[in-house]
Amino acid sequence: MIKITDLEKIYRTEEVETVALNKLSLEVKEGEFVAIMGPSGCGKSTLLNIVGLLDDPDTGSFKFNGIEVAKFNERKRADLRKHNIGFVFQSFNLIDELTVFENVELPLIYTGVKSSERKKRVEDVLDKMQIMHRRNHYPQQLSGGQQQRVAVARAVVNKPKLILADEPTGNLDSHNGNEVMQLLTDLNEQGTTIVMVTHSEHDARYSHRIVRMLDGQTVLENIMV
Amino acid sequence: MIKNYLKIAFRNLGRHKVFSFINIMGLAVGMTACFLIFLYVRFELSYDSFHSKADRTYRVVADIKTPTEVINADRPAWAVPPNVKDEFPEVESFVRIMNNEVLVRKGDIKFQEENAAWADSSIFHVFDFKLLIGNPQTALKEQFSIVFSETTAKKYFGKENPIGQTLLITGDAFPAKVTGVMKDIPENSQIKADMLLSMTTITQKFNQGLDSQWGSYGARAYLLLKNGTNAKALEKKFPAFLEKRNGTNMKQSQMYPTLFLEPLKDVYLRSTRDGHKSGNINNVYIFSIVAIFILLIACINFINLTTARSAERAKEVGIRKVVGAARVQLTRQFIGESIIICLIAFSLTVFFSWLLLPLFNQLAGKTISHSIFENISYLIILLFAAVGIGFLAGVYPALVLSSFRPVIVLKGKFATGSRGILLRKALVVSQFTISIGLIIATIIVYNQMSYMRNQELGFSKDQVIVMNTYGDSGKDAFKQALTTIPTVKSVATSSSVPGGGNPGAYSEIENIKGDLQVANLDLYFVDFDYINQFKIKMIAGRSFSREFATDTTQAMVLNEAAVKMFGYSSPQQAIGKRFKQWGREGKIIGVMRDFHFRSLQQPIKPLSMRIEPGGCDLVSANVAAANLPATLRAIESKWKTLIPNRPFSYDFLDEFFDKQYRSEERFGKLFLNFAILAIFISCLGLLGLASYSTIQRTKEIGIRKVLGASTSNIVNLLSKDFLKLVAISAVIAFPVAWFAMNKWLQDFAYRIGVSWWVFLMAGILATLIALLTISFQAMKAAIANPVKSLRTE
Repeated sequence: MIKITDLEKIYRTEEVETVALNKLSLEVKEGEFVAIMGPSGCGKSTLLNIVGLLDDPDTGSFKFNGIEVAKFNERKRADLRKHNIGFVFQSFNLIDELTVFENVELPLIYTGVKSSERKKRVEDVLDKMQIMHRRNHYPQQLSGGQQQRVAVARAVVNKPKLILADEPTGNLDSHNGNEVMQLLTDLNEQGTTIVMVTHSEHDARYSHRIVRMLDGQTVLENIMV
Repeated sequence: MIKNYLKIAFRNLGRHKVFSFINIMGLAVGMTACFLIFLYVRFELSYDSFHSKADRTYRVVADIKTPTEVINADRPAWAVPPNVKDEFPEVESFVRIMNNEVLVRKGDIKFQEENAAWADSSIFHVFDFKLLIGNPQTALKEQFSIVFSETTAKKYFGKENPIGQTLLITGDAFPAKVTGVMKDIPENSQIKADMLLSMTTITQKFNQGLDSQWGSYGARAYLLLKNGTNAKALEKKFPAFLEKRNGTNMKQSQMYPTLFLEPLKDVYLRSTRDGHKSGNINNVYIFSIVAIFILLIACINFINLTTARSAERAKEVGIRKVVGAARVQLTRQFIGESIIICLIAFSLTVFFSWLLLPLFNQLAGKTISHSIFENISYLIILLFAAVGIGFLAGVYPALVLSSFRPVIVLKGKFATGSRGILLRKALVVSQFTISIGLIIATIIVYNQMSYMRNQELGFSKDQVIVMNTYGDSGKDAFKQALTTIPTVKSVATSSSVPGGGNPGAYSEIENIKGDLQVANLDLYFVDFDYINQFKIKMIAGRSFSREFATDTTQAMVLNEAAVKMFGYSSPQQAIGKRFKQWGREGKIIGVMRDFHFRSLQQPIKPLSMRIEPGGCDLVSANVAAANLPATLRAIESKWKTLIPNRPFSYDFLDEFFDKQYRSEERFGKLFLNFAILAIFISCLGLLGLASYSTIQRTKEIGIRKVLGASTSNIVNLLSKDFLKLVAISAVIAFPVAWFAMNKWLQDFAYRIGVSWWVFLMAGILATLIALLTISFQAMKAAIANPVKSLRTE
């Protein structure tokens, strides 16, 4: 599903040049659950952003489902993204002014799903995440665990092929964290590909494969058994 | 999708109450000011345009050249209109209108109709004054015909049918017949009358031969030209026409008129011949500019606050982009939000305008509009304007917001609010430039007003009551009777008092070369007590005196300006020189010091005074300040016995004189109000920005406090930036305001200088207001516990 070859990304400010990704190559197959680990500043998030089509690489090749997307412009990336990729963030990133239901509904609005269909699909997914009873609440009225479940619901409501999770348990206690990891595992078992950046060895153990990064390169891969 | 946008928009408004309030309030107040000014400007521009033939109707005016001066008259000689009609086939019709006060009696009811006019019967053909009852062709044909306005007709006849009824007019009690009732003349007409009387009454009865009078200027005149006539071309034919019909007369009198045609629609705003009674195109421009400024300030607030707050919306933008929003969709969302805010402001504007219209009418001194719903199309224009403003003010913030990159904003690495700081500063500077400019203008307008009111006028105007007897036969007895009232210190009669009108007389005065020089001299008929009572100072010769029998017919007093005009270098030289004026001949016996007999907008003109008891209709009484009501009662009872046919009314001379400044006063008041509004909206914006930048710097303030900064250090820190902007604004505003106000002052012959302290004061005022606005926020931030602010990160 994802095939990255010799990817480079360099951040420049006036005085400093930071190499975020240095000739990195990585492949993720459909249905995989991959965890990416490494110290702060090793380029994990940059990688995730590029994989998520939020950012573009300087050089190298990135094939998504066999299509070369490294040189896509923002519009094309956005189009591809909204149909194929769901995101889960460490800080949940829900819109404060929208209710649980409306937050989850948002991706469907942007992909042009009809209102009646939207309602059904949002309710389905809220049901699955067991937060149906909170549908009319605002994010601030929920606990962290509930908020992250809403975020996961939002990520999957469009039935994306790929879910990218950026330290999804970073802001959660261990109990809520485990619940979210279980959710991701379940999704993976139903066929969704998952790429997760994490600092937690515990969380990483949920994955099939751990990719370890250092200074913008992959240094080691552990296959979990 | 739209539902989603609306939801977000309204929830955002609800959540950020302060910002929403500032945005909506600022816009609503700005739009209200703008809308009211719009109504005012529309009204001023609408004068006389309701006449269906307005485009081919012209007012005839004349510049009259004498050997001494050029008189800019707002009317031609009596003979001009009928002769023009006779000479030029392209003239379809003419109408002469002479405004005059007329005493009207019906049994016990008596009114001094101040707003009466004598008019040729063609008035209903030339102008669209609609007759409700009566025949427009014939209503004013016969002598002693009256057409009342609807309101005036009700005053006399209530529900009775007025047609055919007889009333008594003038002091001589001529019977006159009501031949018509017209709709009240609208406010936006420069021709005003509550009752019209047939001109034939004057030209055929009171003063026969007026129609062939080439040297007497009494009535304003209007020409209706036939379709397709070129007015300029017609104007060019007038000199030859005058030469042909009036050549000998012109040479004899040495008065050479030139006739001009003023388009009817331009008379009110653009003609300079009507003095303070007319409108002024410059005021229309000034208020239009003020309106645009106020709106600009409100829009700037909106743009500033929205971009400043962009950091708060950044996360939302990021999320929306991550879940699939395209930039266009976001741009549309934010512009939509801005339009929604403007639509809310629009509804508030409608409410405010409805609330304020009566007050505004009062301030403007006339009914600009009876109701804002009177003309729905104006509200529709306002609605479109609101949407337009929403769009324009929303575009920039929308482009800024929608350009955020989710990778950056969602990671919290976003340099909050730093975007567009320069633009924001520039906008604040322009707001304060406008505000400071308006403060300066207001101070100068008020200074000029108070200067005019307090200037030494050269005569005594305090505690003087003026009554008009309109030449009633009882006037001399009345004057005599007043002297018997103990609290009346002195009484004088005259044809004119300062601040009112006076005749201009065809005069011949012996000049320095010994020749009789023709001039149009302003003339006051007075009695022996007048100069004394008004404390007018004599600087050469003597005042009128009962001891000289010849003074009643052969003596004239001139003012300094007149003496100078005839070439004398000292007043003394003029004493004993000859004069001829309106059938009288004699010697100049004295020269008085110049006094302001007109408003201070005009330079003091040459003036002559003569004794002429028959021309002295005005009775002026100098009364004691104590127990004024009793004095007035005593005067009124004398009036009632001696002048029973006329209603009693009086003016205090000081108030009467100040009436000349009424339009300036209105201008000043309107200006003050709008200046306050502009400053208020600017401050709203400043308050918003200050509170925002304080929030932005919460962490910085926390760190500074931990490191030992005092509260005053922090307040200083936060205020400094804004005060710098105010200082820059002042530097820009000063020269512009100086230039503009100097220009404005040029309209006044007697005016204040623009002094430096005005600028200093405006600068200090603006600084204080800004400081007050900012420091409230700054104090709050400075007092806050740093532990809290640091933990938020």
